Order: sequence, then C-alpha cells, then structure tokens
Amino acid sequence: MTKTIIMPNRRQFLAGSAAAAGTLAMPSILRAQTRELVVGGAASHREWVETIVIPNFEAKYDARILYEGTRSLVNLEKMQQNQAQQYLSVVQMDDPVMILAHEAGLLEPLSAETVPNMAKLKDGAVHLDGAWVNYLQPFQAIAYNEEALPNGIESWEELWDDSMAGRVVIPSLQNTEGVFPLFMAAALETGKPVAEAQYDIEAGFRKMQALKPNLLTIYTQMPQAFNLLETGEAWAIAGALSSFTMPRRAEGSPVNLAVPREGAFAAPSGVCVVRGGPNQDLAMAYVNELLSVELQNQLTAPTFSLPTNVEAATPSDLPENIEVLSVDWANVANNRADWVQRWDREMAI
Amino acid sequence: MSVARRFAANPAVLLLAPALLYLTVFYLVPLSFLLGRSFIGQAGLSLQPYAALLGDGFTWQVIGNTLRIASLVTLCAFLIGYPAAIALSRARGALQIVLLVSIILPLSVGIVVKAFAWQIVLGRGGVVGQFLVATGLFEEAPRLLFTEFGLVLGAANVFLPFMILPIYSVLNLMDPRLPEAAATLGASPVYRFTRVTLPLTLPGIIAGCAFVFSMSVSMYVIPSLLIGDRFQTLATLTGRSFLFLRDEQLGSTTAVVLLVLSVAIILSASALARRFGGVR
Repeated sequence: MTKTIIMPNRRQFLAGSAAAAGTLAMPSILRAQTRELVVGGAASHREWVETIVIPNFEAKYDARILYEGTRSLVNLEKMQQNQAQQYLSVVQMDDPVMILAHEAGLLEPLSAETVPNMAKLKDGAVHLDGAWVNYLQPFQAIAYNEEALPNGIESWEELWDDSMAGRVVIPSLQNTEGVFPLFMAAALETGKPVAEAQYDIEAGFRKMQALKPNLLTIYTQMPQAFNLLETGEAWAIAGALSSFTMPRRAEGSPVNLAVPREGAFAAPSGVCVVRGGPNQDLAMAYVNELLSVELQNQLTAPTFSLPTNVEAATPSDLPENIEVLSVDWANVANNRADWVQRWDREMAI
Repeated sequence: MSVARRFAANPAVLLLAPALLYLTVFYLVPLSFLLGRSFIGQAGLSLQPYAALLGDGFTWQVIGNTLRIASLVTLCAFLIGYPAAIALSRARGALQIVLLVSIILPLSVGIVVKAFAWQIVLGRGGVVGQFLVATGLFEEAPRLLFTEFGLVLGAANVFLPFMILPIYSVLNLMDPRLPEAAATLGASPVYRFTRVTLPLTLPGIIAGCAFVFSMSVSMYVIPSLLIGDRFQTLATLTGRSFLFLRDEQLGSTTAVVLLVLSVAIILSASALARRFGGVR
C-alpha cells in the first residue's frame, strides 16, 4: 500500500497561512471592537441586572457587561486580592462593606463631572464625598404572616408583646440588616428618634435582652427565616427587605411587609467604581446609567425599591409616605465587631 | 528500624506514599500554618492569644456548650445506633441489603435538605408535636424547633451511619458461637450481653463514638441551620472570627483549642477502653 502525500502549492500555502492568522487573531480583533466591563454584585440581583440594566447599557454603549453575582464581603475580598491588577470595574454592594473598601483605598471617587446624574440624587445617597452612591433604596421593616396576624403590625413595639412569645425572628448582627432591630430597640427604650438613639447602644442591648422570650431564632440566612414565616412557625421577621418580601407575596405566599409608624430603614444598596479597574470611563458611564431616571423608573417596580434619583417616580404598589430612616454606617463600621462580640454574650448564651 | 530499611524490607510500605503525601500537603501543612498563626501576631511570637481566649469566662461557657452538645449527640447516636447495628448484623439476604441501603443512602442527602426536613418534622404542626398533643401530655404542641433538643436530634440523625457502621463491622467479626457458649453455661440474656457481646464490640463502639464525637464537636452548618445564632460553639466562634471579624489569629486560636479538646477526649476514651480490656 502506498501513501500519497499531498503537498500544497505556493498559492494554497499563502491562502492557508492567511486563514490561520486570521483565525488566531479573531479574539483580539473582537476585543478591540467591543470593550468588556466586569461588574460584581449580589447573586440575588442577577435577574434584574441581566434583563434590564445590561440590555439597556449594551444598546447605548459599544460594550459587553459580565455580571459576577456573589456577596458583598466576597466582592471586597476579590478587590483586595486583585489590588495589583483589578479585573472588576464596578461593584454593587452594601454600604458597610463600601466603608471597608474605601478605607482600603479600593474606590475611585465619583464626581458630577464623571457621573452627571449624581446631581439628581436624594440627600444622603452620596457617601464620603462621592466614594460611592446609592442607586436604589429597598427598605427594611417587618415581614409578617398574614394568617397569624391579619391586622398587621402597627408598631415595632408589638414585637415585644407577650402574644408574640417564640414567634419572632431577627437577623444576626453579622448580617447588614441586623443593626436595624438593635437601633430601633434603642429608640424604643430611650424614646429618642433613631437618628439619635443609634448611638445609645447600651439602651439597644437592654431592650433586645427583653425580646429574648419572644425569639424563635436569630437567622443568618434570610431564605430560611422566610421559610419559617411562610409555614406559620414564625409570625414576624424584623428587618426584612422589601425586595425580598414583596416578590414572595406576589407569588402567593401569605406574607406581607408592615411599615410601622416609627418608620422603615433604608437598605444600603451602593455602587462604586473600582480603583485601577479596566475601562474606567465605561465604569463611570455604568454608574451614571444606574442613576438615570429612565433606568430607575424601570428598576423600582421589579426590585420593590424606592428610587434615589429625585426625578424618578415611586411605583404605585409601594406604600406611600414611608418614613425611611437612615443609619450612620461609619459608626456601624467602627463598632460592629465589638457589638457582635457583645451580641454573642448577651443574646446567644 | 529506619524508614529506608522499612521500605527495603517491605516494598508494600510504598503503597502508603500517596496517602502520606496527600495528608502532608492537604492536612499537615495547613495545620502547621494554623498553629503558627495562633501564636504569631502583631506582637510577634506570644501565648497572649491563648491567655486572652482562655482567660475569658465566655469562652468556657462556649467550650461547655460544645462538649455538652457533642456528648449528647454521641450518646443519642449510640443509643439508637447500637441496636440498629445488631439488627443489621443479624439480618440476612434482601432484608440486610434494605437495612444497609437505608443507613448509607441518607449520607448522600445534603445537610441543608435534612435541616429543612427537620423544620417540618419538629415544627409546631409537625408529626412530633402532633404526637405529643395526641398523647394528652401537652395541650398544645411544644416548641421543639431551634432548641437544644432539636439540635441533638438533628445532629444524631446526620451522624448516625458513622456510629452504626463501625459497630456493625466489629459484630460481623465476632464469633456468634461465643454468646451461645455463655448461654449453654447458664448465662442470662442480660449477662451474655454485658459480659460477652458488649466488651467484644467495644472497639466498634469506641470507633463510632470517636467519629460522631469529633464530627459533633466541630459541626458548623447543622447548628447554624437547626438552632441559629442563639447558640454558640467553638466551631461557630471559629467561623465567625475568620468570615466576619476577619481576625485570623482569633480564628486560628479557637480552631486549635477545638482540635486539642477533640483529640484529647478521643485519646482519653481510647485509653479508658484499653484500661478495661476492650481493645487489644
């Protein structure tokens, strides 16, 4: 048996070489045409980011967005570990973690020049001279089981009522929302507004101690707490997010969100540009889009959140005239580790 | 005999090499880092982290919690697992296969799924609560969820196979004629059990208790799902130090204390068993 070896002629060789070079060069050609932006954020935000934010942004800019959904502390870890060569350009995470990122020098300051929509934000939505901004305001109040409490909850004080023995669930102080019941407890104990009472932590712990007989559990995983609420084992969850409670209700769960007369807390949904991240101009544009009236009008309803852009409208299905209480996150960041250790001693044993 | 001579004398020792390499790289080295980190802090090499941790009354409360729960889980698993191991060793044919599968299969179910299942079982509307009401002992279902009772029951359920299987393997090795021989000499069933079966199965009991105790003392996910943040153990304190407080030295110190406690108790149990002649 003889083998036939086909040798290419000069023309075929040149054509083949050109095709091979073209194939090998294709990714870099594509990269040159379409810029990429890697955005870090919460895993639970993936749906609205991918269905609303990304299509809007990609249609407007010649860019591609990759969304990495995880947790705020994981994002902080990524930013710290990749400080020499950042790959994340934008990160959406909680304000308390933003403070840590800011202190570590990981945030590129935002300004009205680079992010023009910053000028249209509500008071209190721009932090530390533009280190980061709040793009939405989901709010946190008390989720309750409608079958167990058909009249709802009118005051935070009702959590301490004897009728709630063993039926109340609160977040761990490790969770961002864990500080809200503590601050509200301080306000109820002292009679001062939350703005002042949040600094009287002694009063807060004193009042929380009185809540112990009513506690079913202290959660670290919000879905687990909601499972207890939906089955009727728990009757109320303090510090529950509107963006978590209302979609459950819409799906038919017997839960609702009470906004007591003392008010609800603004959940800290922040966005920042990572210092040294790729495509800084595109990153600034992403933040600017997130703060725009057009995008906020599309996002408030599916996220059950209040807008931060003063020109955006509040969706009709959100409660009106909510008093949204703000928290001094710098104070929280400075003291939280001590509070957690105290919490272990006074609430866990 | 030196290691080299041992290898030369018996090349089969070489078969240990992959396991030794694995343990060195993935266990000994990280453990050494952990140990070193617990002693070396900003102030250099110091015993201060241990002095601070063990000088705090709260730590001793947590250690007490950890040991109490681990002991209760081990006891609960033993009381349920020992009769189950005997039943398994005596079963034959299809029944034995069914029993073995029912013991091993739950190992493939994730702890999170089991925890949610326990929420259904132990909830006020669950079967346990409803049973207690039906007996007339309680007017309304007592709270069982997020209590130490619920935690012990749930953890014992998760770790039960690790108690049953070592006892079962020892029972399988036991000569079944020995209790029969005792019976022919007039020993009562209780005497036969306490003087023949129980001492002969002591190695299996020790192995089972060591497995369950060491897993219970360091369990992290089960307490966080079945009792929540109201209950602290050394494992949850260690997790919190690393994951939330980002204090590696505190986390390493609590982890080392946990490891020392666990090893000390297992070695003591083993020594006791030797003292009473159960292990040869």
